Amino acid sequence: MYYAELLLVGLIWGCTYAMMALGLTLVYGLLRILHVAQATVFTLGAYIGLLAANYSGSLAVAFIAGAIAAGALGPLIYRFVYQPILDRPPFVALVASIGVLIAMEDGFRLLFGPYGLSFEHNTWFTTTYSFAGMTMNLVQIWMVVTAVVLLSAFAIFATRTRAGVAWRATVSDPPMAESFGISVSGVRYVNFLIASVLAGIAGVLVGLLNNLVEPGMGSVIAYKGLAIIVLGGLGSVPGTLVASLALGVVESYGTVFLDKVLDRDAIAFLFLIVVLMIRPQGLLGRR
Amino acid sequence: MDYYVSVATFAALNVILALGLNLISGFCGQVSLGHAAFYGLGAYAAALCSVAGVPFPLAILVGVLVAGIFGIVVGFAALRVREDFLAIVTMGVGFLFLGAVRKQPWLGAEMGIAKIPSPLDKWGYAALAIGAAVALVVLSLHVRRSWMGRAFGAVAQDEDAARTIGIDVAGYKITAFFLGTAAAGLAGGIYAHMTQLIIPDTFNFIQSITILAMVVIGGIGSTIGVVAGAILLTLMPELFRFINDYKLLVYGALLLLVMRFSPGGLAGLLQRLGLRLA
Amino acid sequence: MQIKSGSRLLVAAALGAALVAPASAQTIKIGFHAPLTGFAAADGKSALNGAELAVEEINAAGGINGRKIELVVVDDQAKADQAVPIANKYIGEGLKIVVSGSYSGPTRAAAGVFQKAQIPYISSYAIHPDITRAGNYVFRTSFMGEVQGRAAAKFIGDIMKKKNVTLITLNNDFGQSLSAGFKEAAPKFGVKVISEYTYAMGDRQFGSIVASVKRDNPDMLYVSGYFFNGGPLVAQLRAGGIKTPILGTEGFDTHNFIKIAGPAAEGVMITTSLDRDSKSPAMRKFIDDYEKKFNTPADMVAASTNTAINVAAAAIAKAGSDDPAKIRDAIAGTKDFQVSTGKISFNDLGEIYKAAQVQVIKDGKFHHQATIDDPQLLAPPMK
Repeated sequence: MYYAELLLVGLIWGCTYAMMALGLTLVYGLLRILHVAQATVFTLGAYIGLLAANYSGSLAVAFIAGAIAAGALGPLIYRFVYQPILDRPPFVALVASIGVLIAMEDGFRLLFGPYGLSFEHNTWFTTTYSFAGMTMNLVQIWMVVTAVVLLSAFAIFATRTRAGVAWRATVSDPPMAESFGISVSGVRYVNFLIASVLAGIAGVLVGLLNNLVEPGMGSVIAYKGLAIIVLGGLGSVPGTLVASLALGVVESYGTVFLDKVLDRDAIAFLFLIVVLMIRPQGLLGRR
Repeated sequence: MDYYVSVATFAALNVILALGLNLISGFCGQVSLGHAAFYGLGAYAAALCSVAGVPFPLAILVGVLVAGIFGIVVGFAALRVREDFLAIVTMGVGFLFLGAVRKQPWLGAEMGIAKIPSPLDKWGYAALAIGAAVALVVLSLHVRRSWMGRAFGAVAQDEDAARTIGIDVAGYKITAFFLGTAAAGLAGGIYAHMTQLIIPDTFNFIQSITILAMVVIGGIGSTIGVVAGAILLTLMPELFRFINDYKLLVYGALLLLVMRFSPGGLAGLLQRLGLRLA
Repeated sequence: MQIKSGSRLLVAAALGAALVAPASAQTIKIGFHAPLTGFAAADGKSALNGAELAVEEINAAGGINGRKIELVVVDDQAKADQAVPIANKYIGEGLKIVVSGSYSGPTRAAAGVFQKAQIPYISSYAIHPDITRAGNYVFRTSFMGEVQGRAAAKFIGDIMKKKNVTLITLNNDFGQSLSAGFKEAAPKFGVKVISEYTYAMGDRQFGSIVASVKRDNPDMLYVSGYFFNGGPLVAQLRAGGIKTPILGTEGFDTHNFIKIAGPAAEGVMITTSLDRDSKSPAMRKFIDDYEKKFNTPADMVAASTNTAINVAAAAIAKAGSDDPAKIRDAIAGTKDFQVSTGKISFNDLGEIYKAAQVQVIKDGKFHHQATIDDPQLLAPPMK
């Protein structure tokens, strides 16, 4: 029973990672950028969601506001940070992205204070359901449902819609896609929009889970997101999902059984290193 | 006066760290996001030796070797994974080092190692750090011009092409990692004895990023540029003390702006003004 | 954006002035470094507030022998390698006393520098045992981690009468020293540590620990951490259906903890040095004045820096001189001094003895639960 509960905990963590990592994979797949600044988008979504919730009293409003704010910031970062340096070596974009993250983390602290903010009425957190000796609260249930729904919606978008086909064509061969009349630049904006909305919603959900929205809340999850997309095989969407869930489960067992030897981040990265040494292309990556 | 001596010593340590990373990332093209781990390895190894009564020069040497040997191990990893995969693996090495040290009672866990003997005075450490930094500058300039430097350059440019013309890619990669991480180990050993206390948090991911930022802001691959970058970033918090509240904001914005407007860093900026740096 | 309070501007201006003009003979400058930016900025803010309140009140009461005091504030980002240049800078500017409002790393690193320069240095709330061992110029006005852990063991064994305890320990110097002190003292009070789980500073999700605690089913939980990780942890324990009583530590001693944990905070107890129901005028005055000035309830960090500044000011007054050696002697001679965190005296190592307070959260506020006054158990080390 105990082991089943740890598995469940791991899968919930995995869903959180997946919402973050899918966006990172989308950006990497299209532009080969390790988009660390996604953490900024995530944190902004959480802050705006929290302010909206405390102002309106409605969590639905919170998610919409968080998604809009995040959805606006992501494409802006693309336009003003990445687009001008796309033809540079990859570390240039990475360092610029880290710069955005550091500056904005401090910016959030100056704007919203160093102590972090909490939801005034976090009813989802206090609503719990028990079954078979395991307890889940409503935020955790929503985390799983949202991840499953949004990721399925993305899969349908990518395979069944014209826009999705255009997106996939651009990922695999931009000049060819352009010659078929696809606006590559338009695809990139949509790409950042989708990635950012996912991150914004994840931000609000994590804010609810912790009942705390704080300036640095995005960084750890962003670093782990990078580990996940590498683990999954850079640019592979199914690989990202598998890696997210696998990492969540490894951490869940690891934090209890490897407690005396390694901390949670180290467990995650040890798993990553071991997998990559065996499969250098990642779990589902192609050589 | 003491203040300037301590700032100069830290600047020299940062020059050593940044030049070490520049050997790996600038010369040989292997991006590393975990350089602070080797700084930490050197510091911990040297500190443990000194506390056990090993003489100071020997302790420093052990720090250098331990960092270098682990560097070779990571060099082998670099044979297996490349580019962005390698960047994330080295980042993982940093987290793994920190996460392991935090839990080991014999390494002091979170308390770190205290009461490290300090055989030199502040002038001694300043002289040692600056001397080592200058030696590393000379070494860097020399390597750049040597056959090894050219081979590094070929590996950085195009690994497969380098292999076809008979360059021992694996050997050069491992050499670059050994030299670069051994330099970090040297900085670690000096740091440990100078402050007489080391704690895990000093060697965290932010420290790795800071070292990378020195290299990148200075101009990746340019020895003199990287020295300038390291000195500039060491002085920056000192110069900006009066803006206590906005320091990190300014720091992050600086990284962003340099990358946005002069991706070649300071060296690239000067080059555009018609000056060439080594 | 309400970033800078008027007083903060003054401090900044004063700092600017200190850089260009020689110190005026009229004011007494006290160095004060704290993590104003970076991950520890929340504590840095409280630390600065507590110190500023002390300065304001001392000056309003006429200063020290007619001279005003002034803080020279510097941000250290809670980084050890920033602390060494900061310490040297203070010494270069001719400061005669410095107070640390920061964590163990920077405080320990700076302590060595101040000891060498023979400048008195007071640590407000950093808990690393080696800080005061830097030498006779270094003092600490808060509990050491081990001491607080021992107090917790006594409270759980003697007062709560609980036997089987699970520890949830924050993996940093604070958490590890609390855990060490607790485990050392536990057998004396018939307390058995049946399991211990640890977590890292950045962790906010504790599902695997909650599941494990549920399986272990202890009589009591001893939880270390700060409000930003302890708050989510306590909330998740309660949401996971665990009703076991929880004893926390002074890291939870802020209303932010209650805000984050929400209803789950009810009934949580903590060991600390700040007694909200205290009759002590110094403690009472601090709690009321702080809330009035900053519009937010006082916390342990603020009380600690407030205490340290008051100790420093009293020592300067008693020394009647700017000679660092005389100020040091005056600090060392502090005896039964009433401050916001209780009645304090220093031992030969520069550590204090004071009674530990146990507070309980009721109706969203901290209240008195018990006082652990055991000079033998809570004695700090002498060397």
